[in-house]
Amino acid sequence: MLDQPPVAQRTNPERSFREEVRALRLGNGEIFRGEGILAVTKAILQSGVSYVGGYQGAPVSHLVDVLVESQDLLDELGVHLETCTNESSAAALLGASINYPMRGCVTWKSIVGTNVAADALSNLASPGVIGGALIVVGEDYGEGASVIQERSHAYALKCSVWLMDPRPSLPTIVRCTEKAFELSEASNTPVMMELRIRACHVTGEFVAKDNKPPAISRNHRLADPAPHNYDRISHPPSTYAQEKLKVDVRLPAAQRFIVEQGLNELFPGERSDLGIIVQGGITNVLMRGLDRLEVEGKVPTLVLNVTHPLVPDQITDFCKGKRAVLIVEEGGPDYIEQAVNALLRKRDIDTRVHGKDVLPMAGEYTAEIVTEGLLKFFTQSANDIDLSGPRERFEAARAGRAEAQRLLGGPLPLRPPGFCVGCPERPVFSAIKLLEREVGKVHISSDIGCHSFATLAPFNLGNSILGFGMSLAAAGAVAPVMQKRTISVMGDGGFWHNGLLSGVASAMFNRGDRVLVIMQNGYTSATGAQFIPNTAGNRRDGETTSDIAATLKAMGVKWLRTIRTYNVGTMLTTLREAMSTDHSGLKVIVADGECQLARQRRIRPQIAAQLKRGERVVRTRFGVDDEVCTGDHSCIRLSGCPSLVVKPSPDPLRSDPVAHVNNGCVGCGLCGEVADAAVLCPSFYKAEIVQNATWWDRLVWRLRSAVIGALAGA
Amino acid sequence: MPRPVTILIGALGGDGGGVLCDWIVAAAHSQGLAVQATQIPGVAQRTGATTYYLEVMPASGPAPAVLALNPALGEVDVALATELLEAGRMIFNGFVTPDRTTLIASTHRVLAISERAAMGDGSFDVGRLLRAVKERSKTQILFDMDQAAEESGGVLNAVLLGALAGSGRLPIPEQAFEAAIREGGKAVDANLAGFAFGRGHARGELAQVVRDHHKRQAMARGIEDLTERARRTYPAAALDVVEEGIRRLTAYQDRRYATLYLDRLDAIDALGSAELLRETARHLAVRMSFEDVIRVAQAKTAPERMARVRAEVRAKANEPITLTEHFKPGIEEICAILPPTLARRILAWAERTGRLGRVYFSMHVRTATVWGFARLRFLASLRWWRPRTFRYVEEQAEVERWLATIRAAAPLGIDLAREIVELARLIKGYGDTFKRGLGNYRRIASEIVEPALAGRLAPKAAADAVANARVAALADPEGESLSRTLASIAASAAMLRRAAE
Repeated sequence: MLDQPPVAQRTNPERSFREEVRALRLGNGEIFRGEGILAVTKAILQSGVSYVGGYQGAPVSHLVDVLVESQDLLDELGVHLETCTNESSAAALLGASINYPMRGCVTWKSIVGTNVAADALSNLASPGVIGGALIVVGEDYGEGASVIQERSHAYALKCSVWLMDPRPSLPTIVRCTEKAFELSEASNTPVMMELRIRACHVTGEFVAKDNKPPAISRNHRLADPAPHNYDRISHPPSTYAQEKLKVDVRLPAAQRFIVEQGLNELFPGERSDLGIIVQGGITNVLMRGLDRLEVEGKVPTLVLNVTHPLVPDQITDFCKGKRAVLIVEEGGPDYIEQAVNALLRKRDIDTRVHGKDVLPMAGEYTAEIVTEGLLKFFTQSANDIDLSGPRERFEAARAGRAEAQRLLGGPLPLRPPGFCVGCPERPVFSAIKLLEREVGKVHISSDIGCHSFATLAPFNLGNSILGFGMSLAAAGAVAPVMQKRTISVMGDGGFWHNGLLSGVASAMFNRGDRVLVIMQNGYTSATGAQFIPNTAGNRRDGETTSDIAATLKAMGVKWLRTIRTYNVGTMLTTLREAMSTDHSGLKVIVADGECQLARQRRIRPQIAAQLKRGERVVRTRFGVDDEVCTGDHSCIRLSGCPSLVVKPSPDPLRSDPVAHVNNGCVGCGLCGEVADAAVLCPSFYKAEIVQNATWWDRLVWRLRSAVIGALAGA
Repeated sequence: MPRPVTILIGALGGDGGGVLCDWIVAAAHSQGLAVQATQIPGVAQRTGATTYYLEVMPASGPAPAVLALNPALGEVDVALATELLEAGRMIFNGFVTPDRTTLIASTHRVLAISERAAMGDGSFDVGRLLRAVKERSKTQILFDMDQAAEESGGVLNAVLLGALAGSGRLPIPEQAFEAAIREGGKAVDANLAGFAFGRGHARGELAQVVRDHHKRQAMARGIEDLTERARRTYPAAALDVVEEGIRRLTAYQDRRYATLYLDRLDAIDALGSAELLRETARHLAVRMSFEDVIRVAQAKTAPERMARVRAEVRAKANEPITLTEHFKPGIEEICAILPPTLARRILAWAERTGRLGRVYFSMHVRTATVWGFARLRFLASLRWWRPRTFRYVEEQAEVERWLATIRAAAPLGIDLAREIVELARLIKGYGDTFKRGLGNYRRIASEIVEPALAGRLAPKAAADAVANARVAALADPEGESLSRTLASIAASAAMLRRAAE
């Protein structure tokens, strides 16, 4: 089984962003090459930010991750970096720009992060800012998204913060980032910039500028705080005045700035009777769609790199004199389409507005969806354009797909994400499965994090997910009506993000009779192993910040067990006890096991170095005797380890494939533990291979082999 | 404006799709070609599907204003897949088309979790995948890149890059790809070797030795007369299975046991169907070599096992290795090798006192040590005792009942008899798995087979019903599918009866 140091001695994983860090140092005239999100990071340094913060989440984690490794550069510039414990704390960070003329940027994943940040966001937007404040949100929407499908747009509307949606080309993204700070300052309003998954990862190049050291910074500190000004506090009666300011002053200022700086782009076209208005982020799909229909360059197109606020004159000037305009706006509700309709109605312009009538309200705007929408639009509004060729090709492609699907005969097996090889969280769910064999099904309140993969095959465990760190709170009204206790599962990331207060404090306060399992793996692993308060070490001084068990004790938790996760038997016994003990309050099991990705990153170089030095290293891995396995695959259903696969049976008389441990095995021992705890079968074996064996190892081995050989032959 | 060459990559997390993407981008840059890549990387974990999409301009010059971020139906020039099902997925989604797409894919399979977790063989039909690959793409470069990577010491993504270079579909010379690998700076030599293999294979300059999957025959000596007897009696179509059965049972027990096997088969041979004989011979041999601790000990101490394990865990010749076996016999497993009367008494006591299915003895035996090996060797040597054990007696009775139903069913319809034979597939494994399988087998026998033999169910319908029930029994371990299927079979049988009356 895996040896591992206690929590406090686990060293940090070494992910390297060396190339990225180098790109951030490029100066005037040099060519930057890289991904969209790194380009944004470079652009904020070029804009002279005083501080940066954020909470990790795909697809924007990279922004803070790379800066964490760029401490030297940040020190030179005097930029402060805050790795926030949740989005609320990141949004509150922007409060610095309310009173001080400092630029700041924070980032998180949306919609979920924006939801968490909502309180601070409203309180930031109301007084407004004097230093440029930018929020980079990863719009986790469409293919590859991992959160509920909603638009961040709603927040921009209701808080009166501006929303940029830049066309996904690096020069445009960089220009928008730089202009966002100016827009924010020109209108005293925070600016949100949304980047979809593909835009964050799009590669490209732009001409870099020198990074700009901020005027106010860690290196140039202020002698005095800002003078007291009640107008800047979001409390009545200031809030009434602030609400009016938003409408009367900030909005017109923003609209002026957008027009003066040409933030939105107009692509001309010869068909003056038609037009398309598109969100910047969707432009590429639209342009390729027009190309596909052989009408590229024919239809005037207004690209909204700023989707809120709209500029009424710009919209009406564009629409005036046109028969029909198509609005390409991804997701629902159709805020832009509604606004354009209202605007044209008020100004008595009779241009027909198409949008969600030819394009779907819900779902990602893929190439196919947009092409179909364009075909409908042109058929209704410009039947003089001959689209028969493109339409035929489009229909042929669809027919081809139908034929391909017929050939394949039904849907292909899905490939959902799952726990990594050797993941310390897997054994907990194996134990819960075994517990359910004894006591029957249990209500399981799941959470956000790697452990949410337990809701998928092969575990299929979990009744609800209510948000990050919410699993304990989400069982609040279930537990009182259940005969059996409920189990809430939460990661250490979720614990510090929200679970400690929303979950533990509330459950303690309400004397909740519930079971909580906290996965203590040391990082927010699902987002790429970022540090959290219980991570061994801290990027600043190497000291661990907070211990979960100590925190829980201080909160008054009486029933508390810390269990090493790989020990399935002990985990099962502990769960059984938690479910049946007379203790009626909150029962917490801290399931401890270091994130295996981090662990492998940590130990692989160490082991390689040991081997190179000729030191003795024992490599452990597991295997299945293919003659003993009968191909029922219970072991797979109770584990789902990616290295536990199947292969054809070597038995000439059996057809069912047998289990097999492939070379991805890291020797965590779970398969053996599960086989033991679940009384599965005797197929598993553990092999310990001695590398750089000593003379003694070899002598013992030779002697044993000789005797065993004789016995076997006997 | 010339059109970009479009490239779609389907990979699994951990396959190095991102690095592959970086190599292509770097190589295109070095040629002054405008290029854009993007990805749906999935999460940090390693099992999910990931996709990458690139557009490369065919000639140098200014980049066009807009390159696309999404692949489009029927507009993919080159599709790369690190695994066969992922190639199938790109075809399924309509991105790979016969008029345009060069499909470069590895033919190996990494089974998805639903395929692995099935209680029997749940893997997707490879024949269908290959057919779709051939019919739905313009040209194909297909070989086992996983094997190629292993043989070249490189990683699969480098082999795939080599195949892409070798395909000649991109306006990028192969030196540029090699330079990109060198610039990447990681495992350069191994990756270059993988690259060279992929390129050579794509150009047809070298072929891959396809790894055969070998079935291992059982080994037994002194059975020539038994083999001779089978050859004299049985149709040629059944002989390979019967001969393996003779070898297997002789190794498992002795010549006498193998003779019993042939005696039992004679009665099936008399039913006149070579196919029925062949399938019965297969399942009968498996059933007669049931998994008791003696057999497990035999397998774990077999002389060739250590070499097999060493190869599997990739131990080098000079590396000592120790093995630990996980055993956890319960009262039933121990009773299995006791005499029937004693075993029955103990089992009854255990049942009465609630110890059955609760008390187990966890043992970790180190088979590479002399003492550990000797203990298992002793167990294996108990072969002579086996015919006197409780399990043996029980198994023989169960086998006889099964054979009797086959013999009774055959005159009603060979199909029904065949399905009853096939039902034996449900019985396998150890502990709970064995009990569950046997339980399902008995349920189907009593709810479908018996009514059919009693004439309450038409043989043809009964054959279908048994087949459906067998599939349902393997659908989920909780037995929910089986219950549903048996209920619907009972309902439709009742309806038919009413209709007939």
